[in-house]
Amino acid sequence: MVSISKNSLSNQTILTLKHIEKSFGGIHALAGVLFDLRAGEIHALVGENGAGKSTLIKIITGAYTPDRGIIEINGTTYDSLRPTQARELGIAAVYQEFNLLPELSVAENISLGDQPLGRLSLIDMKRRCDRAYELLEHLGAETHIDPNELVKYLTIGEQQLVEIAKALAINARILIMDEPSAVLPSRDLDRLFAVIRALRDDGRGIIYISHRLNEVFELADRVTVLKDGQTMATKNINDTHNAELVSLMVGRPWTDMYPPKDNTPGDILLDVDKLCAEGTVFDVSFNVRAGEVVGMAGLGGSGRTTVCRTLVGLGAIRSGQITYMGKPAARSPAAAARVGLVLVPEDRKAFGLVLNQSMRFNLSLPNLSKFLQMGVLRSQPEKEAIKKTISDMQIKPPTPEISTENMSGGNQQKIVVGKWLLANPKLVIFDEPTRGVDVGAKAEIYMRIRELTRQGVGVIMASSELPELIGLSDRILVFHEGRLAGEVERADFSEEAIMRLATATELA
Amino acid sequence: MAVTYQSTRDHPMPRPSQWSKFFRNNASIILIYAIILLVIGTAAISNENFRTPSNLLNILRQSIIIGLIAIGQSIVVLTGGMDMSVAQVARIVGLTVATIFAAQDSNPAMILPLILLGLVMGTLLGAFNGLLITRTHANPFIITFGIASILRGVNLAISTTPIRGIPASYLHIYDFKIGIIPANVLVMALMWVIAYLFTTRTRTGRALFAVGGSERVAQLSAIRYNRTLVISYILCSISAAIAGLFLLSRTGVGDPSAAEGMDFQSIVAVALGGISLYGGKGSMVGTLGGVLLLASLSNVFNLLQVNIYYQQLLLGLIVLVTVAAYKSPRSA
Repeated sequence: MVSISKNSLSNQTILTLKHIEKSFGGIHALAGVLFDLRAGEIHALVGENGAGKSTLIKIITGAYTPDRGIIEINGTTYDSLRPTQARELGIAAVYQEFNLLPELSVAENISLGDQPLGRLSLIDMKRRCDRAYELLEHLGAETHIDPNELVKYLTIGEQQLVEIAKALAINARILIMDEPSAVLPSRDLDRLFAVIRALRDDGRGIIYISHRLNEVFELADRVTVLKDGQTMATKNINDTHNAELVSLMVGRPWTDMYPPKDNTPGDILLDVDKLCAEGTVFDVSFNVRAGEVVGMAGLGGSGRTTVCRTLVGLGAIRSGQITYMGKPAARSPAAAARVGLVLVPEDRKAFGLVLNQSMRFNLSLPNLSKFLQMGVLRSQPEKEAIKKTISDMQIKPPTPEISTENMSGGNQQKIVVGKWLLANPKLVIFDEPTRGVDVGAKAEIYMRIRELTRQGVGVIMASSELPELIGLSDRILVFHEGRLAGEVERADFSEEAIMRLATATELA
Repeated sequence: MAVTYQSTRDHPMPRPSQWSKFFRNNASIILIYAIILLVIGTAAISNENFRTPSNLLNILRQSIIIGLIAIGQSIVVLTGGMDMSVAQVARIVGLTVATIFAAQDSNPAMILPLILLGLVMGTLLGAFNGLLITRTHANPFIITFGIASILRGVNLAISTTPIRGIPASYLHIYDFKIGIIPANVLVMALMWVIAYLFTTRTRTGRALFAVGGSERVAQLSAIRYNRTLVISYILCSISAAIAGLFLLSRTGVGDPSAAEGMDFQSIVAVALGGISLYGGKGSMVGTLGGVLLLASLSNVFNLLQVNIYYQQLLLGLIVLVTVAAYKSPRSA
């Protein structure tokens, strides 16, 4: 490995992004991002879910082509990059999901794209092994990883180091780390930080993404805050503090999209007692009353979605109890729906819609028993129910036979919501009900949620969008790393209070 | 999140006419029936033996057994699965019933109980397939292929020579006629109507499409995923069992090579009919077209005395061309 002395390259800008824009189907994921990275610095990138961090990474690594803006690397300007080109320019990323082949050895994984060849063009196994050893050694920390060990026998922390070694193997000068600490047990954190610092001292530029602000302050030299696809600020770490970053991350104008609160909570519908599920949710207790909106906040991987899924019977309960209307809760979505407990899932394309089927098919699916007469589906009641839902939800175009895959995100989401409202539920769980939908559809969904509570239906709303949680909830449960970090009452609602619980940061 | 209003296409481009919509939505079905008309038309013009009413009825009769099996196969393929055991199920039912008839000195009183036995065997074998698939989460192709292999062994153990001693009245089931129309063709027509109504107008039928479309979505839409799968394999095996009973009535002997090749043929019929082999898409009307196309082709080949090797070759080409034509450029 060539080691470059710290001083020769430090402060030299190696990557600059100017006015990067990228939209998906009318939604701006990035709306003019400014960002720069210097050699020999750790530059933290923070922002709420959906702020555009992942999109930005994908643009730097060449996975996405920006709509507008320029990328400048080592003084050369590009409109966009191709993935191979980005690699050649020395850009590498370590994602939360590792790109390793578990059945191959450490050395094989590290040299996968570029096998050292020996005589007869056969792979030189010794050289491959030496190279892996050298790269792992270079990480500087006490790694003790055997290059001949199969990757599947390594710990998560060790696998991550192999990923980093892979980046070194292509001599990456720009290393992107996407929430590297999120997957690690806390005892491995110090080693990771030491490795990252060593790489910086090598003169590499590191983009470090994390939700944990205390890490940012421990590790980073500079920090950039993204919000709604825009750069809010770039600060030297010594010139800022926790509270400022939190308010930059959440501080957005208040909108009056939220219908006024006019519900009165009634009896307890659902009671969750010390729930542990799927090894990712621990000791969670809460209850939901009729006619009440209980918000669930928490960053990605906080266990929010697992709780929602467990409530309708998906995934195993390790311990604890879920009581719904005085009885143990059903253990399958079909059984839960029969007693009026339904989930409007996150990610409508993966969980909400049978995409190659019509709107009518999808709206009817959970409601087929309503249209049955002696075991035969009657088309008249079906047509009427569908027509009513389309007009209630304002779904456009109002054509029952249209294939759902051709509809906009907002209208797709209205179908997922509409199909469950048609089922006359008593408790509706919404998981990310407005992700990726336009403003009009958002307002429509908020109105439906209000209407439900007026009718005495209980609502759980899990969301990454704090304004909507604050706008609609009666109280908000905040999750952090699989546990309930706290509950915020309506009187105490503020984005800062929620973010502080969700990121487990103490305000200085 | 910064959002812009999205055009929801209130006023789509020039509104397509009802007809063009009909063509677009039923392209694969229209295609298969057009090919059938082409085949039949060409044959009718060029060969006078083909256009006799008795030959045309023959085509319908030849499509009964494969049709029954294809109905069951369609149900399973709609869920995204595949049943490779249908031919062996049909065969084991035929051989078992024939063996018992022979042992009971061709007693006609055994007809009804043995038909019931055949249906029960179909139900149990289908349940076995379905439960293995849902419990192990293994690929349906492999599971049913394994079952088929076991059944093939059992069938060889039952008999390697034709079993005689089927009561004459059992043979009448297949030969019964109403006027000049064979009753079996009418029964067949009724079966197709029931199959069509089952897939379009019952809850379980609707669930097949959901399950084939996406397991996760189906589950989260209150569809009982495992139950739907097991039912689909039971129905498939029952239809294979009925085919086996019919076949026994047609041939009059328990045939150890009965239904040979029907597993693949049924899948070909389903695929020709435009049912997606990934599940979730298609219609019984299409499968009927696939069955009729296979039956009329084999009829034409036989009349023209096409060499069996060329028959295979032509059939293969037609399958490839049709399936390639279904693949819309957008999904490519």
